[in-house]
Amino acid sequence: MSNSAESSERYGAMQGEDRHLIRWLVRGVCLIVSAILVLSAANGWSAVVPALSPFLAAASLLATGTVHALIWVALPVACMVLLRPRWFCRWICPLGLCADGVSYLGRRWGRRPMKSTQLGQWIVWLTLGGACLGLPLLLWLDPLALFTSLFRLAGPRSASAAWIGIIPVSIALLLNLVWPQAWCGRICPLGALQNLLSRLAKCLLRIVRRGDSFRPGSDGTGPLARRAVLGVMAGAASAWVVRSPRAWAAHPLRPPGALEEPELLGVCVRCGNCVRACPTAIIEPDLGGHGLASLLTPVLHFQDGYCREDCTACTRVCPSGALSRLSVREKPHMRIGLPRVDMNVCLLAEDRECAECSRWCPYGAIRYVFSEIEYTLIPWIDPEKCTGCGACEVACPTSPKKAIVVVPHSV
Amino acid sequence: MGKPMNRRECLRALGVSGLAGGLGLALSRPAPGQDVGESSGFQSSVIAGNKVRQNAGHAILVDGKVIQPRRELPILHRTDVLVVGGGPAGVVAAIAAKRAGADVTLVERYGHFGGLWSGGLVLLVIGHIVKGGKQVCQGIGEEIMRRLDKIDGAIIDRRPGVNPTADAEAVKYVMLEMVEEAGIDVFLHCWGVDAIVDGNAVRGAVFESKSGRQAILAEVAVDATGDGDLFAAAGAGFEHRSHNVGLVSRIGNLDRLDKARAQAGPKPRRLGLHTPVAGVNWVNLTGPEVDGLDVRTLTRMEMNHRKFIWRNIQNTRKMPGYEQVYLVETAPQLGVRITRVLNGLSRVRLSDLKAATRFADVVGVGGSSNGTHGEWQIPYGALVPTKVDNILAAGRCISTDMGMADLVRLIPNCFVTGHAAGVAAALAVQDGCCPRDVDVPRMQKILKQQEAYLG
Repeated sequence: MSNSAESSERYGAMQGEDRHLIRWLVRGVCLIVSAILVLSAANGWSAVVPALSPFLAAASLLATGTVHALIWVALPVACMVLLRPRWFCRWICPLGLCADGVSYLGRRWGRRPMKSTQLGQWIVWLTLGGACLGLPLLLWLDPLALFTSLFRLAGPRSASAAWIGIIPVSIALLLNLVWPQAWCGRICPLGALQNLLSRLAKCLLRIVRRGDSFRPGSDGTGPLARRAVLGVMAGAASAWVVRSPRAWAAHPLRPPGALEEPELLGVCVRCGNCVRACPTAIIEPDLGGHGLASLLTPVLHFQDGYCREDCTACTRVCPSGALSRLSVREKPHMRIGLPRVDMNVCLLAEDRECAECSRWCPYGAIRYVFSEIEYTLIPWIDPEKCTGCGACEVACPTSPKKAIVVVPHSV
Repeated sequence: MGKPMNRRECLRALGVSGLAGGLGLALSRPAPGQDVGESSGFQSSVIAGNKVRQNAGHAILVDGKVIQPRRELPILHRTDVLVVGGGPAGVVAAIAAKRAGADVTLVERYGHFGGLWSGGLVLLVIGHIVKGGKQVCQGIGEEIMRRLDKIDGAIIDRRPGVNPTADAEAVKYVMLEMVEEAGIDVFLHCWGVDAIVDGNAVRGAVFESKSGRQAILAEVAVDATGDGDLFAAAGAGFEHRSHNVGLVSRIGNLDRLDKARAQAGPKPRRLGLHTPVAGVNWVNLTGPEVDGLDVRTLTRMEMNHRKFIWRNIQNTRKMPGYEQVYLVETAPQLGVRITRVLNGLSRVRLSDLKAATRFADVVGVGGSSNGTHGEWQIPYGALVPTKVDNILAAGRCISTDMGMADLVRLIPNCFVTGHAAGVAAALAVQDGCCPRDVDVPRMQKILKQQEAYLG
């Protein structure tokens, strides 16, 4: 039995049934409120739910080195957690309520809790260690991000992508069915972080009260410190391996304001907020086309729509800073990619009357230049003006292959 | 020839050979009262009293400057509505104005109607469909197409949502037929060179032709010159733009390729697109972006393009299987796309296309090159100059921004703006008002009666 379960039992005995009922009511309300918030992706509220997590905030802060507005959302939660261990799990966490429900079913079916070490701690240390090098490797295991990802199913498009997108959160919940409370008690990094923080708080409190100096090794902090050092080092090492100049060149097109690769792969929590927020439906989760590390990260497709010049929706709903918040004024300076023209397909090579890509370019970045050698027009793209928004690709009338296609900058 | 002939001997020799060659013709129509031996077989006589060209006003040199003295111009004709330019916009404008009850005169620089459609050999009709395949170009433009439908070999690909291709000669014939049927006064080989302006109002236009410089007086003029020559001369505001100037050609014998060798070898570029004539394709040429109003540039374009087209066909003929391909013709008219664009009371704008704006004074709906856009409305104000009265623009020179010029200039959209300008001009004559004060709802009603589509 974990500490939390014991404390929870004591708690119940002391406060009685009324308190118990109130807690369930509060949790239910929290679940409903967070569901509503997550569903309102269009006006930017969906970022608030995952942003509540101090785990996400800490890793994001370490990895991106920027204090974006959403980090402050996690601060009150962090303070409360310092005072009362696992307070967040018991009163707020919407995934926790879902997990408890599944655990209840598991117990009814006679499943026993798991007997294993705390994985959560290791996840925390590894992630924070990696975050120091810009790559919080397991940040996507944050429970609030996982909870948010459940709502991929509410997205307007690509049902298959949505179902694949909820696989991680489904696994987390299924674990609770097989070993009741396995997720919350053993794996959840936010839960583990709360344990660590409250122990840290206790330790500090004792030092303050007694006037002791901090001595590692006393009161069982020895193994903790050892684990911390080991975990952080392992995290940093694996981040360093991942960061090594492997071929990250072949990365896909990312939404505007996205972090560089491979940092994006670490910081992105795969919550699916950006996919749901995009009004032109051009963001889709990567379904493995660009390697395992990139799985479920946002990629752009310009089949039916382009990245609108007046829209910054995806950057406003990103809880982790994987997509940095943009203003409409900054947007023309963000570079998604650069279009490439295939003159074997382009209608201009056959002297057809076509000016679609130039007409639809919101930034006036495409001109047609006459080539004396070819004796025809060739589209010329001004790299200073072009943002790679894909309007040209959408407008291009050739089919099945488009003559103008946006490719990532590094390609 | 061994020894030099004098004129009489030469004529006699020609006459004898003419007789020998066309005996039947000569016998059936003998020239009365003439010595057959003295005649060339043709008739010619001196026209008494040379009224055509009186050089009273020839240019003179004053201090090394060329000065054109003041002179009175003969009035060739008087009319209600004068349409300058016989391209798709001008022909439709003239027919529309005539049907709306006005007395109409149509003046064309070349010897045929159809402008760049026929004379420029731009045979593909694009711009009449919108997203979803709906055809927005209706009215007289569609009537022309239906007439072409009835003639064998005049038009192909006339299916919903598809861009048809017409035959240049069929276009010339059908337009001529419709203009004659409507009872429009026509002057061909007449180049509109100046506007007749009284105060702020246009009263007609001056033309240069083999008859010299003459005037046609009119109540309202429609500038369907494409280059906006008339409104520019009248002092209306305009934007002078550069655009690509090309030259279209037709190549033949594409049905006589050595197919086995042609398929095995490399495929030549610039084989163009099919036409109603079997084995003949029309080949577009975009050309560089230049000033289409500069005569030196136009000369250079014409010469460069001709050289390129000739060399290109020679290269094509060298490719295995393509030996029989030949150059049928280059277009008589240079493919000038955009030059002057009117500063109108309102403007056709790309932002309005994107926003699908609807105008209260809509006079037509435009389509796109490949049905890639939705409908875009053309406001009446885009045809009306901001300050000059009694003149309307039609065709590619109407008021449009950069993004829309390439849609405005397409043939079906020229039909649409021509139709609107014709009806508006006739109404202005009827009501005795300026085109800018035309009763818009009534104009829209007449346009709809003439089967135009207004959205």
